[in-house]
Amino acid sequence: MNSEERIWAAINLEKADRVPIGPLLTNHGASALTDKTQAQVHMDADMALDAILEVFDAHGGWDKVEYPFPCMPVRWGYTAGMRVKIPGIELPEDYVPQPIESENVKPEDYPVIAEQGWKSFAENDLIFRVTDLSQAELDQVNAAQKVVNERAAKEWKKRNVVLASASNDYHPFFKLSLSRSLIKFTEDLFYNPAPVKAALETMTKETIDSLIAGARETGTKIVGLVEERASTYFYSLKIFEEFWVPYMKQIIHAMHEEGLVTLMHLDTNWEKNLPYFRDIPAKSAILSFDGMTPMTTAKEILGGHLCIQGDVHPSLLTTGSPKEVSDYVRDLCTGVGGDGGFILGVGCEVPSACSRDNFKAMIETAKSL
Amino acid sequence: MSTELIKAIVELNRDAALAELKTQIQAGSDPHQLLQESQAGMEQVGKRFETGDFFLSELLLSAEIFKYLAAELEPHLLAASGEKKLGKILMATPQGDIHDLGKNIVTLMLKTRGFEVIDLGVDVPVDKIVKTAIEEKPLVVGLSCLLTTVLDTMKQVEGQLRDAGLRDQTRFMIGGGVTNDSTQTYVNADFQSTDVIETVNYCLGVANAA
Repeated sequence: MNSEERIWAAINLEKADRVPIGPLLTNHGASALTDKTQAQVHMDADMALDAILEVFDAHGGWDKVEYPFPCMPVRWGYTAGMRVKIPGIELPEDYVPQPIESENVKPEDYPVIAEQGWKSFAENDLIFRVTDLSQAELDQVNAAQKVVNERAAKEWKKRNVVLASASNDYHPFFKLSLSRSLIKFTEDLFYNPAPVKAALETMTKETIDSLIAGARETGTKIVGLVEERASTYFYSLKIFEEFWVPYMKQIIHAMHEEGLVTLMHLDTNWEKNLPYFRDIPAKSAILSFDGMTPMTTAKEILGGHLCIQGDVHPSLLTTGSPKEVSDYVRDLCTGVGGDGGFILGVGCEVPSACSRDNFKAMIETAKSL
Repeated sequence: MSTELIKAIVELNRDAALAELKTQIQAGSDPHQLLQESQAGMEQVGKRFETGDFFLSELLLSAEIFKYLAAELEPHLLAASGEKKLGKILMATPQGDIHDLGKNIVTLMLKTRGFEVIDLGVDVPVDKIVKTAIEEKPLVVGLSCLLTTVLDTMKQVEGQLRDAGLRDQTRFMIGGGVTNDSTQTYVNADFQSTDVIETVNYCLGVANAA
């Protein structure tokens, strides 16, 4: 089987010749696995792409590349509405870029978002609250991103790898949590929910349109949706049902009708939230977990319905031994992945202090099974 | 005992809690008693978290309410004096990481339960953490992180605390999204968690044993 056949076998809950491999490798991990500093890969998108390609090629490639276009941290402001400290500028050369949790969106912004949509609000107002760049400077950054995206698309095409999340977005709930800040957003949910819901409604429609447009532009069949703050690690099921599930369902259904599969990047522990995903169409999504959601439970609840992905823990990849990594990968692939419907991934993403030997052990073990 | 104050905290009713506190202050209630009642409310919130009835969001909201109550009480407590703390906890995000959300939540919850928390902030060098630990002799040194790049820094802190002869009297705990059991072993920590109340209970246990 080739990579395409393996990945789609997993999505369709069939058994492939081996478990497909799809670790999320971004600028952070690529720096750890090459000789480039965090500043180099976060200031220069071409250098980031080179680093990611170098790691991919050095390991003989794998089956699925997530978020195939390396993104510069200043552009996180558009999606996350957060100010980011950047290595080589506000941080030392080999620090990881770090978003600052603060109240960048105010309560009075909710009606504006509900009326105009997030994109307009972010591009015309919010971005200037979270970066000191001028519009002309931002135009340069965005133009450079477009150029590197085109080069990345060509490079990945040569490698015959499945591109996932080339079109991607955050769940609207996650965007508001990041940009309002966790505590303020939580107060809004409990004490003044109506404006939040109005904003979520508009943002969900926008997310659907944006994901479909991005999929058409890039040709990807697997779109990305990120959520790191909605599980019962943070909120009750009542909040989850009211402010997250309906919007997630709208997005997944719209993608499914368009013939697209949604890869959900789900950080923190989703154990109690898992049954809700049985309500979305079978084979419509891949749920990717970060090491906090027990994979065996995810398999028990979602097996035969949705493909799951995970979850070699960043701590294991950083401080463990190659043998420990190999043992974990073997157990995961033969246990959880033994009967298909599973993609080997890492917890969240390849960590910024990932051991080279451990990364190699992960890929080689998975390929050998 | 103002059961209304405790009830308002447990129901996460910010306005009712503040109104009840002001009423009690005006009525001449002992500010220390009111602080204890606020802490009793927080303890009940913590219990509901442990039983799975409350989640991190409820902890955050109750801690925010407690902050409002504590600010209102502060001048009255200063005037009355005699507030007893459970002990000192030293908190920091080690050098190389500037994430502070988890650390701040734990710090806030420890304060609500009566600890004196020395919060060194983020991106804190090893020698500053160790120097402060030598000077302040906290019950627990707690480090939080979201990046695997600082795991070795945590290990260095533990080593230097040991070299300074502090590990007999000072516990070392870690937390944060990238930590787990194996991280605890790697950095020689006495305790690891990604759960706020578990962490607070650990510190309460250390304080009770001291």
